[in-house]
Amino acid sequence: MEIFLLQAGNGLIIGSVYALVALGLNIIWSITDIPDFAQGSFYVIAAYVAYFAVTLAGVPFLVALVLGMCVGAIMSFSCEKFLYRRWRERTFRLAARTQLLCAIALFFLFANVANALWTSKAKIFPAYLKGSLLGFSYMRINVLLAAIILFLVVYVFINKTKPGKAIRAASMDLGMAQVLGINIDTVNSIVFIMGGALSGAAAVLVSPLYSVFPTMGDLPLLKALVVVILGGFGSVAGILICGVGLGVLEALGAIYISSAYQHGYSFVILLLMLLLRPKGLFGRV
Amino acid sequence: MLSVNRIALGIILIFLLLIPHIASSYVVYVAVLAILFSMLTASYDLLTGYAGPLSFCHAAFYGFGAYTSALLTLKTGMSFWLALPISGIAVFLFGVVVGYPALRLRGHYFAVTTFFFGHFMYLVFLNARDLTRGPLGLGGIPPPDSIFGIDFSSLTANYYLILIFGILMVGFLYALVNSGYGRLIVSIRENEDLAEAVGVNTAFVKVMAFSISAGLAGITGSLFAHFFRLLHPTTFAWMTSEMIVVMALVGGIGTLVGPIIGAGVVTFILEMMRFAPELRFIIWAILLIAILIIEPRGLAGIFARIRGGI
Repeated sequence: MEIFLLQAGNGLIIGSVYALVALGLNIIWSITDIPDFAQGSFYVIAAYVAYFAVTLAGVPFLVALVLGMCVGAIMSFSCEKFLYRRWRERTFRLAARTQLLCAIALFFLFANVANALWTSKAKIFPAYLKGSLLGFSYMRINVLLAAIILFLVVYVFINKTKPGKAIRAASMDLGMAQVLGINIDTVNSIVFIMGGALSGAAAVLVSPLYSVFPTMGDLPLLKALVVVILGGFGSVAGILICGVGLGVLEALGAIYISSAYQHGYSFVILLLMLLLRPKGLFGRV
Repeated sequence: MLSVNRIALGIILIFLLLIPHIASSYVVYVAVLAILFSMLTASYDLLTGYAGPLSFCHAAFYGFGAYTSALLTLKTGMSFWLALPISGIAVFLFGVVVGYPALRLRGHYFAVTTFFFGHFMYLVFLNARDLTRGPLGLGGIPPPDSIFGIDFSSLTANYYLILIFGILMVGFLYALVNSGYGRLIVSIRENEDLAEAVGVNTAFVKVMAFSISAGLAGITGSLFAHFFRLLHPTTFAWMTSEMIVVMALVGGIGTLVGPIIGAGVVTFILEMMRFAPELRFIIWAILLIAILIIEPRGLAGIFARIRGGI
């Protein structure tokens, strides 16, 4: 029973990381129709920047977290502004393909830049907090807390502010939103900044628990894509529930079924869900 | 106009036929890789270029074919000439089983599902150690048995074998997409609802396109297994699937010729950059983005522009 609770708790924590990345991906995807693979590499770069800020400059963890979020946001913003935006005016199918291809290329690019600059050797992120509660270190609990705070911020931003309203309008009907005077360039910039910041935050939060290495972004990216589909695009709460649920199922599957296939369960869940409920668990906005 | 194409095709063919006689064995290995990737992208083009759905799991079928063929020859002592068609058919049937549920999904749903299917298959190759020997790699695969008095222990003979299969496969795909059935496939890409409304059994046609594409990838996998004689799960990981998509899109999908050229160009670019293994994928990604900025339709679009098309 103790193992069960411990493993479920760990799943909860890793699931909240998936959910953070997925939230950014989901907002970007629902507005621009780009499954932005590149977020997986912003995740890596943000983690490295935070690592160097902590080890070389000795800044406190919270500053490193903000720094990582800024790095993710700036990279994400620039990629949209200088690359994805360029193809938006093309016919739909061509635009969709080109943007997807570009996202994959960017993912390759930054992951390999990290590999070339800092080698594939994993770097140990120094612990910033000691002690534990009920078998979970404070650092793990912080991941969950930070994820909840970020989700609340995004929820309030999307639902209670004016730019949030513009984002919701654009995700429902892009053409109509433009007709009504919403500047779609600004909306795109905002969603990409949010996405990048969320990926960066997820990366920096998880780094002290594991370590920092060039391929660290692969699995969170894959899982986040599953979560986006499971959540059925749109609903912020749905993403959180699906992300955390996936994390817990995976963690439990690892001890009760087989740990070798731990990263395959998401596929089985995804396939079952798509067959039974192709609209996603929580439907569209 | 057509004659220009034919002359270009002829030159490329003669060049391919001459490679083992004029180039070092290293170049022959690279050429084999290029041909295998051309076969993969050409078969991939049948599904994504002609039928429409963007798929990210081609390497999974490639790997399934490779392991099937290798295990058949290793465990049962079957001849390569029997194992090759059997692995092709096995992967085709596997494609039906996977494609039938998956193709009910549309657009990004389908794309992401195939993405995960690819990853799932990689995990199977990695973890089914009794069969695939997992991360140790499956070695000792026999070369193709001699047939009609041709001995396939030499590199040159193997090269020609793969070249012939490549030409046969491209010829088959060319005939297929230009047949009436090919037009049915294209009708789905252009407007699936309309095609269904005028009486096309779209579900069947799509599953067929998916499975044939998978089966051809399986045959390519079998050729791969018996040429390199060593299989490792990472060869069939999601990176390879991505690579196939990228090669096909760089060449320009829906043209059959485009993906083949794309596969050749990308393989040679990646090989040329072997001198700097760390920078390889960086240079490659930058090149890819540059191509997208210059012409999002890929190389086929650049050629069309040079020749005064749109």
